[in-house]
Parts: sequence; C-alpha cells; structure tokens
Amino acid sequence: MRRRELAVAGVLAVLLLVLALRAPSFFQGQPLRSLLTREAPVLVMACGMTVVILTRQIDISVGSQFSVCSVAAGLLAAHGWPIGAVIPFAVFLGFFLGAVNGALVAGLGLPSIVVTLATMVTLRQGLNLVQQGEFVNLPDRVQWFGLEQTPGQWSVLAIALAVLAGSAFALHSFAAGRHFYAVGSDAEAARLAGIRPRRVTFAAFAGMGALCGLAAVMNIVQSPQVQPLAGAGLELKAIAAVVVGGVAISGGRGSVWGGAIGLLLLACIPSALTHLRIEAYWEKAIQGGIILLACATEIARPRAKKSPPAKAAAA
Amino acid sequence: MKRPTTGAAPGWRRIVFRYETLLVVLLVIEWLVFYRFGTSTNRRGIVVGFGTMERQFDILRHSCEIGLLALALTPVILTAGIDLSVASVLGFCAVVFGRLWHDAGLPVWCAAGATLLAGAAAGGVNALFIARFRLPPLIVTLGTYSLFRGLAEALTRGAVTYTDFPVGFLFLGQERWLGLPTQAWVFLVVALFIWTLVHRRMTGRVFRVIGFSPEGARYAGLAVGRTTALAYVMAGAIAALAALIYTARLGQAKADAAVGYELFAITAVVLGGTSIFGGRGTVPGTLLGIAVIAVLKNGLAALPAVIRLNAAEESAGLLTGMLLLVALALGAAPKLLSARRPRTPLPENLPIPKSP
Amino acid sequence: MSVPPLLAFENITKSFGAVRALQGVSFDLRPGEVHALLGENGAGKSTLIKVATGAHVPDGGAIVVGQRRHAALTPSTARAAGIACIYQQPALFPDLTVAENLGLRLEPAGALRRVDWRGRRVRALELLRGVGAEFSAEAEVRDLSMPEQQLVEIAAAIGSGARIVIMDEPTSSLTRREQERLFGIVRKLRDDGAGIVYISHRLEEIAELADRVTVLRDGRSVGTFAADAVDPPALIHLMVGRELSQLYPAAQPASDGIGVEVCGAGCAEVGVADVSFAVRRGEIFGLAGLVGAGRTELARVLFGLNPADAGEIRLEGRAVKIGSPMAALRHGIAYVPEDRRRHGAVLELPVSHNITLAAHRRIFPRGWLDAAEERRIAEEFIARLAIRTAGPDAAAGTLSGGNQQKVAVARWLAVRPRVLILDEPTQGVDIGAKAELHRLIRELAVTGLAVILISSDLPEIIGMSDRIGVMRGGRLAGILPGGASASAVMTATLGSAERKGAA
Repeated sequence: MRRRELAVAGVLAVLLLVLALRAPSFFQGQPLRSLLTREAPVLVMACGMTVVILTRQIDISVGSQFSVCSVAAGLLAAHGWPIGAVIPFAVFLGFFLGAVNGALVAGLGLPSIVVTLATMVTLRQGLNLVQQGEFVNLPDRVQWFGLEQTPGQWSVLAIALAVLAGSAFALHSFAAGRHFYAVGSDAEAARLAGIRPRRVTFAAFAGMGALCGLAAVMNIVQSPQVQPLAGAGLELKAIAAVVVGGVAISGGRGSVWGGAIGLLLLACIPSALTHLRIEAYWEKAIQGGIILLACATEIARPRAKKSPPAKAAAA
Repeated sequence: MKRPTTGAAPGWRRIVFRYETLLVVLLVIEWLVFYRFGTSTNRRGIVVGFGTMERQFDILRHSCEIGLLALALTPVILTAGIDLSVASVLGFCAVVFGRLWHDAGLPVWCAAGATLLAGAAAGGVNALFIARFRLPPLIVTLGTYSLFRGLAEALTRGAVTYTDFPVGFLFLGQERWLGLPTQAWVFLVVALFIWTLVHRRMTGRVFRVIGFSPEGARYAGLAVGRTTALAYVMAGAIAALAALIYTARLGQAKADAAVGYELFAITAVVLGGTSIFGGRGTVPGTLLGIAVIAVLKNGLAALPAVIRLNAAEESAGLLTGMLLLVALALGAAPKLLSARRPRTPLPENLPIPKSP
Repeated sequence: MSVPPLLAFENITKSFGAVRALQGVSFDLRPGEVHALLGENGAGKSTLIKVATGAHVPDGGAIVVGQRRHAALTPSTARAAGIACIYQQPALFPDLTVAENLGLRLEPAGALRRVDWRGRRVRALELLRGVGAEFSAEAEVRDLSMPEQQLVEIAAAIGSGARIVIMDEPTSSLTRREQERLFGIVRKLRDDGAGIVYISHRLEEIAELADRVTVLRDGRSVGTFAADAVDPPALIHLMVGRELSQLYPAAQPASDGIGVEVCGAGCAEVGVADVSFAVRRGEIFGLAGLVGAGRTELARVLFGLNPADAGEIRLEGRAVKIGSPMAALRHGIAYVPEDRRRHGAVLELPVSHNITLAAHRRIFPRGWLDAAEERRIAEEFIARLAIRTAGPDAAAGTLSGGNQQKVAVARWLAVRPRVLILDEPTQGVDIGAKAELHRLIRELAVTGLAVILISSDLPEIIGMSDRIGVMRGGRLAGILPGGASASAVMTATLGSAERKGAA
C-alpha cells in the first residue's frame, strides 16, 4: 500500500477512535453490520470506478445503470424468475449498458464525461418514463436470497469482499490488470509496448457496467421493494470514494483498496454526524469538501521530475 | 492539402452548410410537429394551442434559467474546461437569497446584490482550484457540485422553503415588461453581454486560444490564469442571477432548486456546436441549442400521449440525452472518416490535463 | 568483409514537402561494431533513425536487415528484427515502477497471463545491474531523473535481446561518471556481437568508442571512415563541409546603446547559471551550443517562462524583473520559440489572429476586436515577410513550416519589441525561405532591435551573428567575434580541449 492509502486509513482510524470514545454504540454488532451491508453495493461499484479512473476516464452514468438493473431485476424476480437466474441477467444487462458507454468513448473517441452524462440522463429518464416512479414489489424468497436476515447480510458482505479481493487480485496479478495502469499512465507508451488502449478503455467501461448490475442485485435483496430512484447520486459517492482513496484522476495511480478505505470513510460520516450531534444535512457538503480536499493534496504531491539536460551536462 | 477555408466558399453555401442552419431546421421541424399534434391547458385551465403567443412566452419564461446557465458555460467550455457545479451554485444562491431576505431581513434588492456576489464567490472557489492550482476542472467542479448543493441543504436543514417574496421581486419572474416576460429581458441582456465578450472582445479570443492550446497562449504572453478564472467566476455570478429568476418565477426558494439543470445547460452548449475539447463554438449556436431544448421540453408537455402518461419531464430528459449523444456522434463522425486527424480523438484525449 | 552486415541502408531518400531530408543515403552496420553517425542538426540523422525504427516510411531505397530486404519497416517489424532505439526523451510509464516498465516492455503479450512479480523484479534487478543503475527497481519512473530514465530504456533494449541498438545522443544529459558507465555498457554490447549506431556531437567520445564513422551533411552521406583514420579537426571539416558563402546579408555597424544586458543570471530549475553578456541595439548576438547546452533554457529565463532566481536583467540600462511572459511582453522582450507547432503559432486560428495575438494590447487598446484594423495589420505583415498563405483568414495550420515560422515572427514584430529572441528560426525551413528569414532578421536588427539568435546551424550562426556566445552545460563558455571560423566555434562548443586537459 502506498502512503496515500495509509494516510486515508489513518484519517478513518481517527474517526473511528473518536466514535469509539464519544459514541460506543456505533460499534454494536447489528447496526454496524447493517451499515456495512447498505454500503456493500457501493463498494462493488467503487471497484469498477477505480478501474475506470485508473484508465483516465470517468463514468457518471453508474447511478442510472444501477437503477435500470435494479428495476429490471426486480421485475423479473416479481415474474417468478429464480434469484439464480436474475443475478446473471442483471450482470449481463449492466455489461451491455457499460459496453454502450465503452463503445462511444473508446470507439468514437468521445470525451467520457459528456458521453456518460448523456447516458446517465437517457437511462434515468427512460426508466422514469417506463416505471413512472412506481416501486416494484418483490416476492419474499428474493429478500436476503431467501435466507434469514443475518446470514443474508453476511452473504451480501461476502460478495462485496469477494469482488474487492478479486478485483484487487486481478489488477495486481494479471497482465490485463496492469494494462489499465499502463493505458492510464501513458496511452502512447502503452501502444508502443503492444497494448491496445481502445480495447482496454472499452473493457473498463463494460466491466464497470457489469459490476453495476451485480451491485443492483445486492441492493434489491435488502428490501421488500425496488425503488426506481435507488441509484440516484451513487455515481458521486463512488467517484468520491475512489478519489478520496488516492486514485489519481489523471490516471495510472491507485488501487481498489484505496477506494474501499475511502468509501468506508464516507460511509461513516453520516453516523459520525448523528453521533456527534451535527445535523445530517451537512453530509453532501462535507462529501464535496472532502473531494476538494483530496484534490488539493495533489497540489502538494511532487510532480514528475524533469531533469534539465543542461544541468547534468556539466561534467 | 489545404482545408477549405471560410473565405473560399461562395456566400450561399457558407450560409446553407453551416451547423447553425441545421439547428434552425431542427427547431422549425420541432415547432411544426408540436403545432400539429400538441394541445394543452394553460395556467388558468383554458385549452391553448402550441401556436399561441402565450405559449411562446411560456417557453421563454421556462427556459431562462437553463438558458442563463448555458450562456455561462459557453466561455468555460471554450477554454476546454467544464463546470458541473452551475446548477448547485444556483440552488445555493437561491437559499442564500432566501435567508438574506427572510431571516436576515435585508431589503430585497440588497439581498439580490449580495446573492450575485455569493455566486461570484462560489465561482471563485472553482477558479481558485482550476486556474491557480491547475487541477482538472472535471473533478474540481464535481466536488463543488456536491459542496454547494450540500451547503444549500445544510442552510435550510433540507426542509425550509422561503416564500412570501414581495410582489416587486416576483415581477421579475412572473410578469411582463414591454410585452415580454420580464426575465426574458434579463436573459437578452446577458446573452448580448456574453456574445460581446466572446465574439467582439479580445477576452473571447483568449478563451479560444486557451481551449486550443494553453501552452501556446502562455508563449504568446496572454493572461491564461486570469482569463480562465474569469470564465468560472462569471459562470458563478450568472448562476446566481439565474437563481434570482428561478426564485421569482416559482415564488419560493428551496435547496433543491434546479437539480439536474447542468445537464440541460451542457447539452444546449454542445448541441449548439461548441466543441467539448475547447476552442470552437459560438454564442448564437448556444442560443439555438437552448431554443431546441426549450421547445422540446415545453412541446412534449403539450403532446396528448405525454399528457396521458404524465411524463413531460421524463420524455424531455430522455430526448435531450439522446439528442446530446447524436450531436456528439455527429461531431465525431467526420474525424473518424477523414484519414488526417489534426487532434487525436483517442480515449486519452479526455479533458483531464495530465500533471506535467 | 566476410561477415554480412546486421543492418544496411541502400540509397534511402525521404522528403518532407519541399525539404529533402535524405538524398540517397547508404549505410551499413556490422555485428560487433560501434558505428558513429555524425552531422550537424538537420543533416538527416534523426530522419535516418526514424526510418530504421519504422517511424518514417522512406520514399525510395531499401533496408536490409539480416537476410531480408524491406522497402520500409513498421515499428513492430523493426522490433521483431531486433532493432531498438534509445531516444533522448524516453517513452516510459511515469506512474509505474521501473520493474513494471521493463516488464510491460519485455514480457510476452497476452492479457490473461499472471504477472510474476518476483521474476519481474529479479529480471529488472539483473538488467539494472547490467547497466550499472543505482536506483531501485521499485522506484517510480516519475521520480527518476532524465539520465536514469535513459538507463531504463537501455536496460529495456538489452533485455529485449536487440542486436541493433541505436543511441541518439545518449550522453547529452549524462555526467562524466554516468558517461563512463554507458561506455562500458556499449562496449559490452559490442563484444557480445551486437551492432550499435551511436549518435553524438562529442567528437572525443567518438574517438574513444567508435569503430567506424559515417558523416552526414545536408541529407547526403559524406563518407564512412575507420574511426582511427580521422581526427576531430578532420571530422569537423567533414561535417561543416561547404564554404561559407556570401548568402548571408552583410553585417551592419551596431549602435552604441545597450539593448539588453544580462548580469550573472541563472535559474536553478532549468539549470542555467551565471550567464553574463550584453547585446547592443542593432546587434545580432548568436548563441551556439549543443542541444541541451542551455540555450533554449536561457531564452526561457529571459522571457519569464522560468523566471531568473539569480543575477539581473537590464533593459536599456534599467534593471527589470521578468516573472512571466506577460511581464516580458510589457518590457518589449519577444521570444519566437523553437517548437512553432506547439508554441509559436496556434494552428487552428487564422493567420491574422495569430499575428495580432501578442500585440493585442497595442492593436485593440480598449479590448474591442477591430476586424478591419486586424486585417490591415495582417496583410501588412504578410506582404512584408512574404508569407505565402491563401489569405489572412486561412488557418495557420494550413501553411508550410517556413511560413508558419514567419507568422510566429510576425506575431512578435507586431509587438514592436526592443529585444527579439529567435530560437532555431530556420529549423525545418527550405532554402529559399531560409534566405528570406536571414534577410529579415538583419533588417530587423538594422531598425535598432537587439537580436539574440539561437541556432544549431553552424554556418547560419557564423554568417548572421555580430558576436557569438557559446553555451556549454548551462553556462556561457565564451564569446567569439563574428566571422569566427567554423572549427573555432565547433571547438568551443564541444569544449574538447578543456575536457582533454581535465581528463
């Protein structure tokens, strides 16, 4: 782990320590587990977002993708599909939505911020048009995958941790994982090293979509109904977590671990606010402040050294 | 070798084959479709056709805020930047205005003036991070997007709605002056100001040069930092103005004012032919882009099918998003078709400057 | 010659528009030799290298690699044939570690392959030790200095098992000790049977290292010699070749007034230190030196792009502080940069806008654009500088290189400067435009400008300058009178006498 991840982990530790001293109730098993389970889908999305930002792109349509997958999965489940079939369907639907972004960004060379802004709104409003804001009622067997609540929560957490560990492993230990770093660091050098930047960029977006689908399923099993607006604002949370966790917006630097720690930090803020008697309305402002602060740390970071040829030539 | 320059083509072709012409045609088609198929009831419950004057005023009235944001974004995008925070600044300023007038008891015009300053200061935060510290506009304004909306929520505890504004103030958003909705005059003044700045002043050219090549601008001795900062501060101030108009139109100020407007504003600018990579774009194009979106939003609400579904907002958003995608793809198509690419349009061409 | 060459060029030609960069160059590289390639800037060395790496497609001739003849190479066929090139500016991933950079370059393709971090590190350590690097394999490339990054490139070339290694001025940024180490690597490569194409301006290195020398001049090969058969003076003569003709406009007496005076100026950031000289109004002061000797850096200091942190700059006797290009502009210092495509002209803008860009405060005093005035000024400069363009409205990018350069010069003349710094104004410009630019520069000086002319073209700097400052290692090594002999300038530039004395 790099210094940045350690620094964020340090801030998190301080926050947890303050909570432990001022509000020990925060650490009670059931509420804490519920908090973590609620954040588990976002963790899955943060993993995907890490890859997208590593590749020096951005995807702000993930909240909408999440909503669309949630509703579609919910409707299928309500029509009697077994959960075992709903999961791959949601993942595939997400993959398809992400692939559309990927094709537009990598294939046509369009800027990802505008492309995903457009798909974000198209998907969200399309969903609203179809769904009219109606909730989808789910059959009982869907909730917690048909398990009791506690084992259900554990299984959601287990999936999230598996995705985290899996993506960390893939990014670190497979050539394909390193290619995301290479393309984000310098696409031209990547081309010279025999990597195809377009393909890698496409894969980042498609993978992001698939993870949105998975996250959607992890979310709908937590309640008896599917909210069609469940995904609104998730893009910001995922991006904030990743940026706070030290993944450089200029690409090529960072890890999913950083994103995970960043997310934990952000997730603890509302609880911390409640426990420390600060009004919860400050959450969004604090989130924005944290993003700016995380940006500001990039100012202090030493830039790549440019050793002037002239200086060294004096032998 | 030589690209055809504007000077080379005969006059009529220059006019017919302009991108703006395409937008005008689109606008006319749109209007005719809604004129043919759309009916609706007005505020007093009377059925009016799409062709009535009142309807046009309605369009003007409802498009002013988005239009102002689009005008504010045009210089920003010309410098190859982006400002995602404009709608949040609008919400923040609406709340600031409400608090200043309602809670602090300032006279309404003082409160309005202070709100404009608050907007400029909010833009100044963006400017500080982007122009001074040279951080990527995308992530900075994503942060302020959350920050200012959050401040608006915190200031109102998510619940307070300021109402009961004086009639004199509501005149700005609900009445007519010299035959036009009052805010349309404000919009026209701002449009004229931005047009002058972009097309008639040296500052506009500096925006473009920064968009084409920030290094080139520096080597030409231009005030790169100062001019970039100006674009963002101006965007904040105009967003504050839009907040006043928004508040006057609805007669209330809430933290969720204009949520999601940044999309319509960015779409209007890109649809108007401004390149997201900076440098190219016109204010008349933006105005046409605004008109296309405004007529679309308003006209869809007049279609019987949409009325039956009660889906005006949704269908407008859906079509706007798709319109943006089509406009982007059309913009990219010539680049893909031609073998020569002056600027490589590969994924690495994201508007995020790599730290040197 | 029983051993077949590793690489041979036969009659390679290559033109860029009107500029004929290579005009039938032949060259061969044998296994186990260091073959030096010599020539002034613009003689065609870089073009020849780019043909070898597949970056350029030659217009004519053949390239023979091993047993196979090619009309042209591509980057991948060149790599497959065992050709590796170490550029002055390494193409590495700044955010990744050295080991990973080497890994991405050397490991087989295949996205689903597991990364063997241990093996990668071991291999990297071995390669780094082989090139004598002192930094860790775990260091991030962004934290390495330029020479260190160059070592990574060399390690990658060695690791790829390249049989043909091209080194483009590898020592230009190295300290003496790093140089020695590099020589060791080169000799080892040679002893292992590889062929090395070695490009350098430092003649004593060639005597020390090379087996054969090929001298290029104006896109032609002057000849190939055994390295011990030619001494540095002979090489200088071969490189400079042509006699200085009366092509250059005659010098004019300069006025007495000092235009700009630099007193002990320096800037640690760009490695310029303790530079002192004065340029009179009406004088052309040439700055000679190798690429990387600090000439462009000095210009950047004078223009405020890298503000001076030591010494003083005086304009017409008054000390001024130049903290930014805007300040330089206010004081009447103009800089026509070397890289006109990136810095000198904004290619997307029309010619007229480019011309008025820097002088906008004078031309549009209240900030209002004035199309008629702009057009008038643009047409005036187009006529005065004989800029060939479809019109003032044509985009600058549609012009040829020489005419783009004239647009860049026009931009700064429109400012009516007191000091004009020209950085390689005629690089990549065809002969005709070159002569026009020369005439123009002299005319400008006659009107009372203090001109600082940076050029790597030896005849140009000798022909144009009233005095010649020679830079070496970020310092002003000496000032020669105008009309100094080519070998005198070359000797001062290379500093070989001094170096020999020191060694």
